[in-house]
Amino acid sequence: MKILLIEDDKQTADYIAKGLRQHGHVVDQVDNGRDGLYMATGDPYDVMVVDRNLPRMDGLSMVKAARQAGARSPALFLTTMGGVDDRVAGLEAGADDYLVKPFAFAELLARISALGRRPPLVAQTKLQVGGLEVDLLSRAVTRDGKRIELLAQEFRILEYLMRHAGEIVTRTMLLEKVWDFHFDPKTNIVETHISRLRSKIDKGFDKPLLHTVRGAGYVIRAAE
Amino acid sequence: MSSAPPNRIFRRILRSASFRLGLIYAALFVVSACVLFATVFVTATAAMQSDMQAVLRTEAFQLAEIHRRLGLIGLAEQITRRMNFRTRGPIYYLLQAPNREVVVGNLPGMPPVEGVIDFRRPPDSDETDANRSRLLGFGLVLPDGSFLLVAQDASRLIDMQSAIVRAFVWAGGLTLILAVGGGLLLGRNFLRRIDTIGRTTRAIMEGDLSARIPARGTNDEIDQLVASLNAMLDRIQNLMEGLRQVTGDIAHDLRTPLGRLRQRLEEAREHATTTGEYAAATEAAIGEADTLLETFSALLRIAQIEAGAQKSAFSEVDLSGLLRSVGEAYLPAAEDVRHTLELEVDDGIGITGDRQLLAQMVSNLIENALNHTPAGSTVRLSLVRKTATHFEIEVADNGPGIPEAERGRVFDRFYRLDRSRTTAGSGLGLALVKAIATLHGLTIQLGDAGPGLRVTISS
Repeated sequence: MKILLIEDDKQTADYIAKGLRQHGHVVDQVDNGRDGLYMATGDPYDVMVVDRNLPRMDGLSMVKAARQAGARSPALFLTTMGGVDDRVAGLEAGADDYLVKPFAFAELLARISALGRRPPLVAQTKLQVGGLEVDLLSRAVTRDGKRIELLAQEFRILEYLMRHAGEIVTRTMLLEKVWDFHFDPKTNIVETHISRLRSKIDKGFDKPLLHTVRGAGYVIRAAE
Repeated sequence: MSSAPPNRIFRRILRSASFRLGLIYAALFVVSACVLFATVFVTATAAMQSDMQAVLRTEAFQLAEIHRRLGLIGLAEQITRRMNFRTRGPIYYLLQAPNREVVVGNLPGMPPVEGVIDFRRPPDSDETDANRSRLLGFGLVLPDGSFLLVAQDASRLIDMQSAIVRAFVWAGGLTLILAVGGGLLLGRNFLRRIDTIGRTTRAIMEGDLSARIPARGTNDEIDQLVASLNAMLDRIQNLMEGLRQVTGDIAHDLRTPLGRLRQRLEEAREHATTTGEYAAATEAAIGEADTLLETFSALLRIAQIEAGAQKSAFSEVDLSGLLRSVGEAYLPAAEDVRHTLELEVDDGIGITGDRQLLAQMVSNLIENALNHTPAGSTVRLSLVRKTATHFEIEVADNGPGIPEAERGRVFDRFYRLDRSRTTAGSGLGLALVKAIATLHGLTIQLGDAGPGLRVTISS
């Protein structure tokens, strides 16, 4: 993916850019809001990563201006301000996601992948990975034709994972998308739900579909 | 103020707002009094004048009638009689023959003029008041060419006019004195109260944060202002104390994990020889750093919430739905640590608030109950409607509970019961719960679930 990184702290910027390049992305680096706006309104990027505190033009104004100028690339804010109002202000300015510093690199990577993925042109009513099928209308789940009963929360987790099949989904992303929790519970509620979901969809089948990526999150993908 | 020299006080009163207001009112009153005076003066004079004229005209026409019947001699007799038996005040007469010779009368001869005349008679020797000689008369030329004049002393009119002027001068002067005096008094009173506020402010600036402005108990505007100021001071004092406490807490409680982090890194530098050992040490150090960062963000969050900054993000929240979804999120986790989590939520209860903070408040309470009770315990989360506008969130467990003496302190930052020192947790969970509840205007209480702890949050 082609990524625009706007971050004024050189150490953080280099660390992020290096990590993204290692994962095969092309990264353009800019260290202030004015240049960031110039780059953002030029050739489109797949994802923009924008720090909120930037010299010459802050990230919030920059994204707002870029959106007004017609830039459509999804934007992810990096910030040290983690308050609820800050998050809302960021999303209102036109950002698509929000990550509070300090963050784990795996988290950033997973979110960038989720943002950069092109949405399907037709609204899907059926999701399929390997032999696992989810009918979004009847809310029926089957694997190799065998019916699987899921609780409401398990269904929502599975739906999110299936929509991002093949991509790593982090624990925080699940907390936000499934439960709308924008804070970090001390209890491992995600893990416990995943383990129940896993026992329902993978137990008794020879090839597991739901995988844990250590230190990053979860991914659902068909066995090769 | 009692120490200030009197002339300075006087000058300050002259400049005070209430005194100026008093003066403005006095000026307004004087102007309206003048208008009133002019109206009264003009109408009263006109009424009296026309009254007097009517009397004179009647008299003149009566005499003209006598002249028609009895002739000049008869009229002269009649006039002489009337002059000798004055019935209604001093009335003056003049009857002048056509050759301008005075036939009878107590006025000097004059050229005949018809109608109302305002004139002066030659003053008597004993009269000093010049106004007394002013007369109001009615002249009539009779058919035979003789001239009849009936006149009346105008002193009644003048007396009345000067009485009106006197009354208004006295009343106006008195009003002015009262207004100025009242203004001075009010201003002094006002200034005294302002000075009290100023003195208290200075005391606070000098470091006595507990100083408060005394109210008078009259509940007037100034008292209300004083109450608001005192409430503001309470709030500032609370915030300052909170800040002081956070600073102290950070200094004391973050030293330990920071020390541990340093120790681990040092150990790795001294003893690790393989990459595996280095990796393990790094992993552990990251874990410690994460814990530290979490503690920091929790502290920041509490501080932010206590400052009330989040109120701008308030909206209508479906509390029933929120509690159910938070409760259900914890069901598998509770099962894994062999706890029973029971949910009992009444439908349709809402609150104006911050959804994220409320969710965090409920999860902290559930986590607190799960973490501090032994396996096999039951945790009950309930939301009950008490009245149309009141509800109660309750999290109760059947664990060991909290001794009554310590219940007040568990909401303090970093406070941990002795037996909890070894379990995971920052000691900030309940402090955050309390801060969120307070932000939403909810009260939180700890009680005995017999056995166990019962946390009640009520609106």
